[in-house]
Amino acid sequence: MLKGFRTILKKELKELIRDPKILVGMIVVPLLMFPVLGFVLGYAAETAQEQAQEAILLVVDNDGGNWSQIFIDYLKTSGIKTSIEFNLTPDQVVDQGLLAKNNSTQFIEIPVDFSINMTHHIGGNLETIAIINSYVIFQGGGVFSEIGSSTITSIIYNFNRIIAPDALYTYQSTIIKGKIQEGVDPAALSGLMISQALALPITIMVMLTYSMQIAATSVAMEKEEKTLETLLTMPVDRFSILMGKLSSTIIVAGIAAITMMIGYNYMLGSITMGLPTESAIDLVALGLVPSPFGYLLLGISLFITLLSALALAVIISAFAEDVRGAQALVGYIYPIIFIPALALIYLDINTLPLAIKTIFYAIPYSHPIIASRAVVLGDYTIVIFGIIYVAIFTLVIMYIASRLFATEKILTAKLRIGRKKEKQKD
Amino acid sequence: MLQKRLIGEINLILAVTAKKVIKEFGTIRALNELSFEIKTGEIYGLIGPNGAGKTTALRIISTLLLPTSGIVEVFGLDVIKNATKIRKIITYLPEEAGAYRNLSGWEYLKFMAKFNTENSDEIKQVINEAAKISGLKKRLEDRAKTYSKGMKRRLLVARALMTKPKLAILDEPTSGLDVLQAYHIREIIKNYVRNNNVTVLLSSHNMLEVEYLCDRVALIDKGKIIIEGSPQNLKGKYGCENLEEVFAKVVGHA
Repeated sequence: MLKGFRTILKKELKELIRDPKILVGMIVVPLLMFPVLGFVLGYAAETAQEQAQEAILLVVDNDGGNWSQIFIDYLKTSGIKTSIEFNLTPDQVVDQGLLAKNNSTQFIEIPVDFSINMTHHIGGNLETIAIINSYVIFQGGGVFSEIGSSTITSIIYNFNRIIAPDALYTYQSTIIKGKIQEGVDPAALSGLMISQALALPITIMVMLTYSMQIAATSVAMEKEEKTLETLLTMPVDRFSILMGKLSSTIIVAGIAAITMMIGYNYMLGSITMGLPTESAIDLVALGLVPSPFGYLLLGISLFITLLSALALAVIISAFAEDVRGAQALVGYIYPIIFIPALALIYLDINTLPLAIKTIFYAIPYSHPIIASRAVVLGDYTIVIFGIIYVAIFTLVIMYIASRLFATEKILTAKLRIGRKKEKQKD
Repeated sequence: MLQKRLIGEINLILAVTAKKVIKEFGTIRALNELSFEIKTGEIYGLIGPNGAGKTTALRIISTLLLPTSGIVEVFGLDVIKNATKIRKIITYLPEEAGAYRNLSGWEYLKFMAKFNTENSDEIKQVINEAAKISGLKKRLEDRAKTYSKGMKRRLLVARALMTKPKLAILDEPTSGLDVLQAYHIREIIKNYVRNNNVTVLLSSHNMLEVEYLCDRVALIDKGKIIIEGSPQNLKGKYGCENLEEVFAKVVGHA
């Protein structure tokens, strides 16, 4: 064994274990964060399933034959709540808002020659098959948004097993922004949206944590080097000190938001390029990329959230004695950033249970992620609401910060935590 | 009217007045009815053991902390009511302070000078003065993070004196410096004060330094002044050869 290795290892372990930053960051946070995340995902899955079971399936029977009646009866015996309409084209269903009236997000159409095709197939003409047209409203693409369409798929699978193998097929289409997109499989679209929605939350997480560290370090550095103490005795408005510090980070945050929008736009434009042409879903053609106004709103949302995080980092680090302490304190906020960001990669906020939805909306850092989905669907109200909410949150934070800078608390805040230390130091 | 003028003149003579100053941090009393006066133009030293309350006293006079009770005035201005006015006539050098690491010496001095004047000629004059005081010459062009401890302290002392403040408050101006560096700093302070009519309040652990620099010293312990006077007086009174002995005698048996 190397000489002195054990002694050094022992000392290193002691130091690491006794450092609260490591203990909290590497042990407590993951132990807490993943169970919380798991709970959120599990709860969301359960709710989505319950909702799918509760949901009414609108059936448009344009066939009116005996096979269509058999199929509808089969749906009913399978426990699906149905509402039947007759002789409507899919476009009429969408245009007349029948889905909303039935509080439903999907419908199936039994087309005109359904019974004839079924009869042919059963009669031995195996090449003839019957089709059920399925239409699902695209809601933003969380993992559970396809539960509804997968229910139909499994029912048809079971129907075939009872009647005849390969007799019945579904033709999947998606309703995007009130328009039917023929042949767009909602499950495939969801998968694509999740894969492209992955990049933004991760980038936002990285950007928030990075910039918060930088802001915290800059304030803590001033405290550690006592340059802040010096500044506070100068003939300078204390609010100027705070605003100067914040403004420099605002400029950086602004540049970051713009560069991120440019990069994000480029990514969305090129995302379909690598896919084989048959299965290619062109997001641009489907209108599933943000409009210029959408980009603007997303940029603003990102900017204001960054600003809010930076302001919070400045305040928190004002309570720290040194750079290490500031970084540790800022680290306590990370789970609040990470949990909604990670959860919203998989989940669509609209499909979440009310309690979780409320918590996610209350956390300012989830708003750019919510916005990134909402601008794609053209749901600008929620984005604007988010921007206003985060702006108010930021103003409150900045007000507290300015109060802190105006009093001696900026220097003595730490004393309340570690009084004994200060006495020795003095 | 006459009375008002008289009071004004008295205040001109007294740079700092502290009357029964109490400062509490939670349950801990850092200053316990601390009272002293500093005359204009003198170098006044606060000495005392660690935790005696020196830094707290200096921070209150520099308008960083508020006294819990008692009166503190700087040139007749109350530290609570007139903090902004006081900040225009004082400078404060915290113990073990640093400069902005990524600014050069020149940039740092210019940054600080701009708070006192916006006139570019005056700024130039002030930072040239600081350059002279610091003696750092060409090194002022380098970033502060490349400076040695002594150089950094010279830069900061120069910053504290360059604007010719009415009162310079220096917390442990030579702590952690080697003999030569400390000597240089002491020379700067002594010469500058003599030539520019600046009042200095400093705290120190170093009795020799205090003896060499200060016109009057106060020994502070547990937030209170125990003895006060010129170094000569104190040595005579306690029959000691230097202040160190006086310190040991008074604090050791207090």
